[in-house]
Amino acid sequence: MQVTVKILRYNPEKDEKQHYESYQVEADPTDRVLDLLEKIKGYQDGTLAFRRSCAHGICGSCAMRINGRNRLACKTLVQDLNTTKITVEPLLGLRVIKDLVVDMEIFFEHYRAVKPYFVNDEPPPEKERLQSPEERERFDDTTKCILCGACTTSCPSFWANRNYLGPAAIVAAHRFIFDSRDRAAAERLKILSDHFGVYHCHTIYNCTDACPRGIQVTKAIGEVKKAIMTGSLD
Amino acid sequence: MSLDGSVGLQWLRYRGGGTMLAWLLHRLTGLGIVLFVGTHVIAAFFLQQLGSDLAITITAIYESWAFQVIVYFCVIYHVINGLRIIILDLWPQLLEYQHEAIWLQWFIIIPIYGLSIFVLIQHGLIGG
Ligand code: FES
Repeated sequence: MQVTVKILRYNPEKDEKQHYESYQVEADPTDRVLDLLEKIKGYQDGTLAFRRSCAHGICGSCAMRINGRNRLACKTLVQDLNTTKITVEPLLGLRVIKDLVVDMEIFFEHYRAVKPYFVNDEPPPEKERLQSPEERERFDDTTKCILCGACTTSCPSFWANRNYLGPAAIVAAHRFIFDSRDRAAAERLKILSDHFGVYHCHTIYNCTDACPRGIQVTKAIGEVKKAIMTGSLD
Repeated sequence: MSLDGSVGLQWLRYRGGGTMLAWLLHRLTGLGIVLFVGTHVIAAFFLQQLGSDLAITITAIYESWAFQVIVYFCVIYHVINGLRIIILDLWPQLLEYQHEAIWLQWFIIIPIYGLSIFVLIQHGLIGG
């Protein structure tokens, strides 16, 4: 089948602003949008810039707006879009470096701000720090994050104020806050109760719909809000 | 479209679906309520402080059918959507059913709003 791919492009060396360019591509229904971008770059226009690495929905490099919604290009099949006209644009709310490549620095700055690592200064036990299956289950959903940025850049609160830590950072914090082995929950909750923390979330739910890993992002944010409100992790 | 990351009006083209619409309507209906209360306050100000006829004109506007139909929607939507948000804030485990919650709220809003408008029209027709 013949597909029209319209891409929002920008070359900092010659363009003053972004503009759309369209490409006709021969595609199979089971092709992914990433395959189409590869075909365009390989056979029609080698200057097209986009990020990709694993091509299997694991590395989180290829998040972009596809037909108006954030998705991973490597996980989005042409047949699932139900149209032969595909519009591809860079993520919203981040500075565009070139074409579909955006500057993720602010995203990772927010990520680092919530201490996304295991903290426990108690002397390590002889073997491992044991955890029951139930305790492990408590934060299982938020371990799935691949830091693609689809959630944060789909959030109207983030669009309005980029100081807001954003859903991805809160998901990362949730993963450690509810880990029974971790000891820095109070510290993280304090960071998240700050002006630019969880209360910027207005349960708009775009983040959950955008997450390519199916993480219940709004629920995780809700659990963090409740933990701040009640002072309890139960 | 902007390159520095500021979103401008591009956000209007984001396909957030029903949940984003629910949030947008919450903001708009909130503004509608502020506008309604504002016209009341302004009318009262003109009437009491200045004894101006403008008060009668403003009162005629907010008591008009068209205005009332919009205000009813604003209040009913804002209250029920607000309740949904409060319930989900208190029981975050229910957030998994956010889409169902939105459907449920429309099932509540539409009959209540329809009934209110019916009463409003009937009231208007018999000259109440
Ligand atoms: S290329 Fe790795 S997630 Fe798409």
